[in-house]
Amino acid sequence: MSSTEMAVEIEGLHKRFGHVHALRGLDLRVPAGQVTGFLGPNGAGKTTTIRILLGLLRSDGGRVTMLGGDPWTDAVRLHRDLAYVPGDVTLWPNLTGGEAIDILARLSGPLDPGRKQTMLDRFELDPTKKARAYSKGNRQKVALVAALASRAPLLLLDEPTSGLDPIMEAAFTESIREVKAEGRSVLLSSHIFTEVEKLADRVTIIREGATVEAGTMAELRHLTRTQVTAVLDGGVDALAAMGGVHDLTSAGEHVTFAVDDDHLPAVLAEIARLNPRSLVANPPSLEELFLRHYGDELAAVNNGSRE
Amino acid sequence: MTARVEASAPHVPAPAAQVVHRPPADGLAGLGAMTRFVVRHNRVRLVVWFVVIVGLFAYVGDYYKGLFTTQRALDDFAALSDTPGIRALTGLAAAPATLGGAVWTKIWMTCALSLALGVVFLVTRNGRADEELGRTELLRSRMLGQHAYAVAAWLVIAALCVLTGLFAALSSAGLGLDPAGAGTTGSWVVGASLAGVGLMALGVGAVAGQVASTSRGANALGSIVIVGFYVLRMIGDLGNGALTWASPIGWGQQMAPWGANRWWPLALLVGLAAALLLAAWTLEARRDHGAGLMPERSGRAGAPARYATPLGLALRLQRAPISGWSIAIVLSALLFGSVVDQMNSLLADAGTDTTAILRGTGVDALLALLAGLIGLLGAVFALQSVTQLRADEASGIVEPQLAGALSRTRWVLQRLLIPAVGSAVLLGVGGWLMGAGYGATIGDSSQGLVMAGAALAYWPASVVLVGLAVLLLGYLPRVAIPVTWGVVAALWFVMLIGDALHLPAWVLDVLPFSATPGLPAEPMAWTPLVVMTVVAVGLVGAGLARFRQRDVQPG
Repeated sequence: MSSTEMAVEIEGLHKRFGHVHALRGLDLRVPAGQVTGFLGPNGAGKTTTIRILLGLLRSDGGRVTMLGGDPWTDAVRLHRDLAYVPGDVTLWPNLTGGEAIDILARLSGPLDPGRKQTMLDRFELDPTKKARAYSKGNRQKVALVAALASRAPLLLLDEPTSGLDPIMEAAFTESIREVKAEGRSVLLSSHIFTEVEKLADRVTIIREGATVEAGTMAELRHLTRTQVTAVLDGGVDALAAMGGVHDLTSAGEHVTFAVDDDHLPAVLAEIARLNPRSLVANPPSLEELFLRHYGDELAAVNNGSRE
Repeated sequence: MTARVEASAPHVPAPAAQVVHRPPADGLAGLGAMTRFVVRHNRVRLVVWFVVIVGLFAYVGDYYKGLFTTQRALDDFAALSDTPGIRALTGLAAAPATLGGAVWTKIWMTCALSLALGVVFLVTRNGRADEELGRTELLRSRMLGQHAYAVAAWLVIAALCVLTGLFAALSSAGLGLDPAGAGTTGSWVVGASLAGVGLMALGVGAVAGQVASTSRGANALGSIVIVGFYVLRMIGDLGNGALTWASPIGWGQQMAPWGANRWWPLALLVGLAAALLLAAWTLEARRDHGAGLMPERSGRAGAPARYATPLGLALRLQRAPISGWSIAIVLSALLFGSVVDQMNSLLADAGTDTTAILRGTGVDALLALLAGLIGLLGAVFALQSVTQLRADEASGIVEPQLAGALSRTRWVLQRLLIPAVGSAVLLGVGGWLMGAGYGATIGDSSQGLVMAGAALAYWPASVVLVGLAVLLLGYLPRVAIPVTWGVVAALWFVMLIGDALHLPAWVLDVLPFSATPGLPAEPMAWTPLVVMTVVAVGLVGAGLARFRQRDVQPG
């Protein structure tokens, strides 16, 4: 596969459940060999999108291509090259975790016992316990081990680390880096910004069933503002008057403001002229990027109008 | 929030309203709230069970009131009813030649068994099932006593039993089923016997919910005990009656409404219920939340390759029901076989009128009836297996499988092998065992094969019902399981009281079980069997085609 090929390509996807219009023209691209982050608040349509990719739901409109096939009609063929981790793992209560891993792994291809053992060790999972005795985190590990023990070219991960402790999250990060190094593709739906920032090459942010932002991490950062804090002897008024400077506040010598990325060189030049004694410039975090798109909801939360 | 409140507390004198009334922190704390919750959570089920059971009793009562207008007619009916088949299936009323007695013979056992099984299912739904799903844990984190949820469920379900008995009694007295001049004692005894059997089942369900650690296990255990009581009284009613007294359902029978009108067996039923509930209370006080009496053991670290196929996995997961049903059919078959000869001699005294009730004559009619019972067991086995398809979709457990290289068609068809092949094997083995047992007593070794064929004739009827379940899975997934069982229950009621429903004969004749030739009493007829098999294939095909086209719907 060349790097320009798409593992998943979705254009204008629609899905209705009765009167509820869950997906309203969603776009999503997962380039082969890359990790694509998939962000959105609860109920935005992330899981619905993944269930359409799995051929469990039928789309009501739009174009969906996965690994060069149609996820509905070619489901079985495509699933040989697919590993899936649901956000809420349901297992057979009277089978052990090890049995569940074998069943899931074999359904997608031949089981690699060595790889299974490696992953069991890495995630510190006891495969002899019955699934009904597992905690949420351990059920999640079962699905992760089953997915990571396979050599599937595409991984669909729906909030895969929910319920995992920080050490296991680190093990997960390590595993996904290995997957990426092997040239496999990953769709990573998540709420955890730091996880996506660490792993993702590209990010798609959706809201109410439609894509609001998509691009590489660098492209997305470019769309927003850098947060600058400086200690200056004076000249704050000149800074405030510059184009691209927003939300400037000053307390004594400390001045804090946001600056549009395309105005950054000019603003930094002006600060340099003012002889700063200290300067901190932070690129926007994914969290800020995300919150910017949900700014009105955030405002509503702060006003107490939303429970 | 907490920190702020504490910080400001010293400055503000506590107003009187802050003295919150808290429920007592004992084992029953929160009982009132839980009772209202149980009523709300089960309101549809409670009403359905009440209406079906009371309605069934009242309907048959009303119909017989119009049918049997003379004592002569009642005497004829009593004579016709006095057969081993009737004794085995429903028991014979204490006063069969009274109007109340005729109604009792027709419908009491059905009402009592329905109520008992319904009560077991309700207890599990409000006990072990919620505990297994983790909902009880959330409730128990609040001010809720250890026993409050269980006791609330017991109170509500006990009220269902008492109301069912009360309204059966009222409808009986209202319809005038009591003999003229005898007062309404018989009506009150019949109502009390139903309520008593229901309360006894409440105790059985409560203990089953403590012993088993899963809701399926609790339902299975409770149902097996109830069916065991039924079979005990069946043997007792066919023999000298001693075993009838060993069965709590037999105690209900022995209250003998319109006959001896005994009240004291009610004390046995209520006493047993109280003892079982006390045992359940004690068990609940001692065990860990979420645990049963059986400890969890470690299992295998890996699965054999066959588990990766839907059939292999389903055989593993349905191991318990498959072995349970196999044992049930084998035991029933052996029991039937051993008593046929005994019934044979009784039948010789019963006269020729039996032909009106049993299809055919003599022992052949009896054998046909018992083959039909084996057929019914086989059909219920097939249905509990096929309804697992929707159960697996609803729980979401099918999704990781379908996310693998597994088509929906293959998933459904492989899973259907269990009900299709399983019911055929169970029917054949059950029929053969029954025939061989009977043949041994009369020295006729060909009976095994004859009865295997008679039982196997019910296979097309079983697969028609399986096809119906697949059709419902495709088109009405959210209600597929209750509708499937509802249809089976409706078929059963129609067969039982079809004559009272004024349904045209052709409707009764096309029902899967009536359409099956009653071998060996009736001649073999291939047409209905072939037609039913074709219909079954068509239903499966239609349901599967729809299932392939629709969204997977958990929930």
